[in-house]
Amino acid sequence: MLKPYETKLKSIKEEIQRIGFEVVESLEICQKALIEKKIENLKDVTITEKKLLVKSNEIDNIIVTTLALYSPEAKDLRQLVSYLKITNELVRTGANAKDFSKFFKRAYSDDLNTSMILEYTIPLLKSALLSLQTAISIIDETDSKHIEEKYQRVIVEESKTDDLYLMIEKNILKLITKNLDLSREYFDLLSSLRRLEKIADRAVSIANLLQFAQVGGDIVQS
Amino acid sequence: MTNNENKTKIDVKGLNLFYGTNQALFDITASLYENKITALIGPSGCGKSTFLRCVNRMNDLIPIVKIDGQIIIDNKNIYDKDVDEVSVRKRVGMVFQQPNPFPKSIYDNVAYAPLKHGIVRKGKECDELVESSLIKSGLWNEVKDKLNQPGTSLSGGQQQRLCIARTIAIKPEVILMDEPTSALDPISTEKIEALMLELKQDYTIITVTHNMQQAARVADYTAFFHLGKLIEYDVTETIFVNPHNKKTEDYITGRFG
Repeated sequence: MLKPYETKLKSIKEEIQRIGFEVVESLEICQKALIEKKIENLKDVTITEKKLLVKSNEIDNIIVTTLALYSPEAKDLRQLVSYLKITNELVRTGANAKDFSKFFKRAYSDDLNTSMILEYTIPLLKSALLSLQTAISIIDETDSKHIEEKYQRVIVEESKTDDLYLMIEKNILKLITKNLDLSREYFDLLSSLRRLEKIADRAVSIANLLQFAQVGGDIVQS
Repeated sequence: MTNNENKTKIDVKGLNLFYGTNQALFDITASLYENKITALIGPSGCGKSTFLRCVNRMNDLIPIVKIDGQIIIDNKNIYDKDVDEVSVRKRVGMVFQQPNPFPKSIYDNVAYAPLKHGIVRKGKECDELVESSLIKSGLWNEVKDKLNQPGTSLSGGQQQRLCIARTIAIKPEVILMDEPTSALDPISTEKIEALMLELKQDYTIITVTHNMQQAARVADYTAFFHLGKLIEYDVTETIFVNPHNKKTEDYITGRFG
């Protein structure tokens, strides 16, 4: 392919990574706040769906122009189609990260069983973060063996988030039956934790798309 | 006249061209920008090659052709009575559809015109010009050890790059290309396209192409011609992503032509 195409592809990749890193950074802020038990620091998550949408629209428009001008084929075509879908996935992960920080902060209080909540939330958050970080890192991989390894790592982390969420859900439901007055706070908390599980689901989708871009086959989105 | 950071190199104003009583170009007005590639697209017989040949007064060679309007290059109308067409062709070089090297050596193909025009003298000066022209055309490494071999002994793609070297050897400001890759295979085509992108740093390029993808890939601006009229002329991205005229859209999407 011609140099201008390579330049466009490089800038698309960099822009996608930039959005990805922003979401990762937000999750890291959340993780730090939880580990240090400084829940009020969740307010430092400044990412918004609106800002991410502006950026993803810019990338999508560059992709449309690139498709129109360079008529890419095979791997080049798969990459651009995947990137077009990945921008949407990243906007959703960003929205989920923001919602988690907002809802968790609002629902969390000393009246709740905070030790149990943090015991499960921190590993849940870690797995969601790791799954997303690993998925985004696939964008720079060209070796199919490494891509497969990373893809499997994303699957493992996503599976962990599923298990952790089920466990915390079970525990919280037990707590609700013991103290119905706190049911609203507990349900809000569960709702915020569900966002972390969704982030991991999106990470799997991103990994799937990047695997399709590099290795080929059919598009499979989870 | 400038458009953002673009500087106008060629200003076409109200250009009409007639083959006898048959009008082939209708009131063409456009500004073509310096150090940019402008692609002329459109169905066969739409006037794009005729327009291209107006820019270096090649149509003057056809007795029945009558032209009115202006083509202003660097503030001078090339159709003014005091302008000599040979001097125009020196400033505006041309590469044709079929590679057409002279039946001479590779060296002589490049050196012939500069020596005739008195741009260089035989010897070191000429050797340097031949070398720099072949380097610019991306051919030097392939031919530096066989400069005395006939130009016709090269492959089609190499011959076309030799013709480009021959064109740039006379130090033109504008290069016209009339379907420069239509006779070439995909690999040679890509080399010529990459070369066009390199050359635009130093020259203003106008190219005629039937290959939509080629226009999209290499051109900064694209002009769509239909039945002798300039239907739409804009930034290539706009033409290929959001054309304003339905005829342009229909042509680009293959619905007619």
